[in-house]
Amino acid sequence: MILKADWIAALLAVAVLAAIPLVFRSSYIIGIMTVALCYGMWAASWDFMSGLTGRENFGHSLFIGAGAYTAGFLNVNFGFNPWWSLLAAPFVAVLFSLLMGFPTLRLRGPYFALAMLSASAVMQNLTIIFSTYTGGQDGLNGLFPILDSTLAYYYLTLGILVASAALLKFIANSSWGLILRAIRGDEATCQAAGINVTFYKIASLMISAAIAGLGGALYAHYQLQVGPDLFTVVLSINIIIMVYVGGMGSIYGPIGGALFLNVLTETLRGLSEFRLWVYTVVLVFILFFLPQGAIAPLWRRIRVAFR
Amino acid sequence: MNALLQVTGLNKRFGGLHAVKEVSFALQPGSITGVLGPNGAGKTTMFNLLTGFIRPDAGTVLFDGQSLTGLAPHQIVNRGLARTFQLARPFAGMTVTENIEVACLAPRVRQSGKPRERVRALLDQVGLGGQAEFEVDVLPYGDLRRLEIARALATKPKLLLLDEPFAGLGAAEVGPLSDLIRRLHKSEGLTIFLIEHKLREFMQLVQEIIAMDFGEIIALGTPTEIVQHPRVIEAYLGTAQNDVSLDPGAGLA
Repeated sequence: MILKADWIAALLAVAVLAAIPLVFRSSYIIGIMTVALCYGMWAASWDFMSGLTGRENFGHSLFIGAGAYTAGFLNVNFGFNPWWSLLAAPFVAVLFSLLMGFPTLRLRGPYFALAMLSASAVMQNLTIIFSTYTGGQDGLNGLFPILDSTLAYYYLTLGILVASAALLKFIANSSWGLILRAIRGDEATCQAAGINVTFYKIASLMISAAIAGLGGALYAHYQLQVGPDLFTVVLSINIIIMVYVGGMGSIYGPIGGALFLNVLTETLRGLSEFRLWVYTVVLVFILFFLPQGAIAPLWRRIRVAFR
Repeated sequence: MNALLQVTGLNKRFGGLHAVKEVSFALQPGSITGVLGPNGAGKTTMFNLLTGFIRPDAGTVLFDGQSLTGLAPHQIVNRGLARTFQLARPFAGMTVTENIEVACLAPRVRQSGKPRERVRALLDQVGLGGQAEFEVDVLPYGDLRRLEIARALATKPKLLLLDEPFAGLGAAEVGPLSDLIRRLHKSEGLTIFLIEHKLREFMQLVQEIIAMDFGEIIALGTPTEIVQHPRVIEAYLGTAQNDVSLDPGAGLA
């Protein structure tokens, strides 16, 4: 059930995010926050499929890379107006999700997780093999910005993140979300309840892929460059860590986790070689003492007071 | 009278094991029929074949005049054939109400809006009204069995398959659950097909029995006929002897 406190907290969080570039007025901070918002879209979309149904996706970067490269091809190789990327990237990512989902989500067991992991690794290598078109290790350079002002682009990204999160949260709270949670509980029982489990799994993967691909395109048009690192397993794992830190299955938690860990990485930059060490200690601390995550469980405790 | 369920020549092999062998029988609408047989006789495999969780190697299943061959489990449920599992399998991490709501979303019974009132009525019907907002993880086993039945009923079945509904229940819980099944049969007119090992309740509940051993049907008949059937006695007690007869009231368990 959505309480008044939830609405207030959501509005407050959006207001803070909207105020950050006005307070700091630094293109460096705007840049970091734009990237963090993209991570927020990736973490939320991972959580929608995998957090709710419990079918872990170890290759979310497949959809991110597909979206980003779609933007790169259209813009750099074919000279399309960059706005087209925002339409084409989710479309291509959804095609990839169908290609992956149809053979593997009909099955129970680890096939989906493993297929996603390998598909993203295969795509990473394909970008290097077909370097004539993809630019190989260097990737595609010289994408056009969608908006000239970085501040305006930050607000565009924030707007799309908020809209995506609202959509995902709306579906998660509907009867559709109830079915996804039931799939997590027991797939066979779900079938015995007359639910077409395969349909719901594939459909949620499509939604998840669309938003991840859209985030990939937004990221590409911020960096003005796409490269094979967008298909890496490291990226997929980083997203999963953000989801765990935020609290799985809550949609808003993973967004918080993504923002927190991105900001943490940047804050620790001053520590140079100790940076990874501190980052890891913080992660281990959170995952060890708060196995349910930090942000969503914390909010669940606070909101009870407002009932 | 047209049979509600007509099974013909059903076969299933698992490697060298012929788990279900040439099984044929019919269930009449409004009947309550039991499957009897020692462990490993193929009873649960037969249930899995009827409900689409396992594909048969050969044989046909006609339900309400239509073939169920090749249908997925959720499609069979939406034709009006629901089941419960031998081990209660609730949706962990969800409340009792939510567990039943999921089944109310099956295409067969789905209505617009939240099915709150239906869930309420179903929970009252199986005696879980007081636990509606509990997380299923805290329910005792007996309540989970009732939850299984409520979930199956939520899909408004014509035929209900119960796989060992009394398994794991204490003596005090068996009677009320037995009454519930009888009520569903008598007042709701539901056709019921059940597997059970607790013979005392089983014999009092069912009108007809299908006895199985080693994947085959060895006898069909009323409870009184079945307990005197030489092949049934042999399956349970070894070679039949003249002085062994079973009293349906006393039970074997």
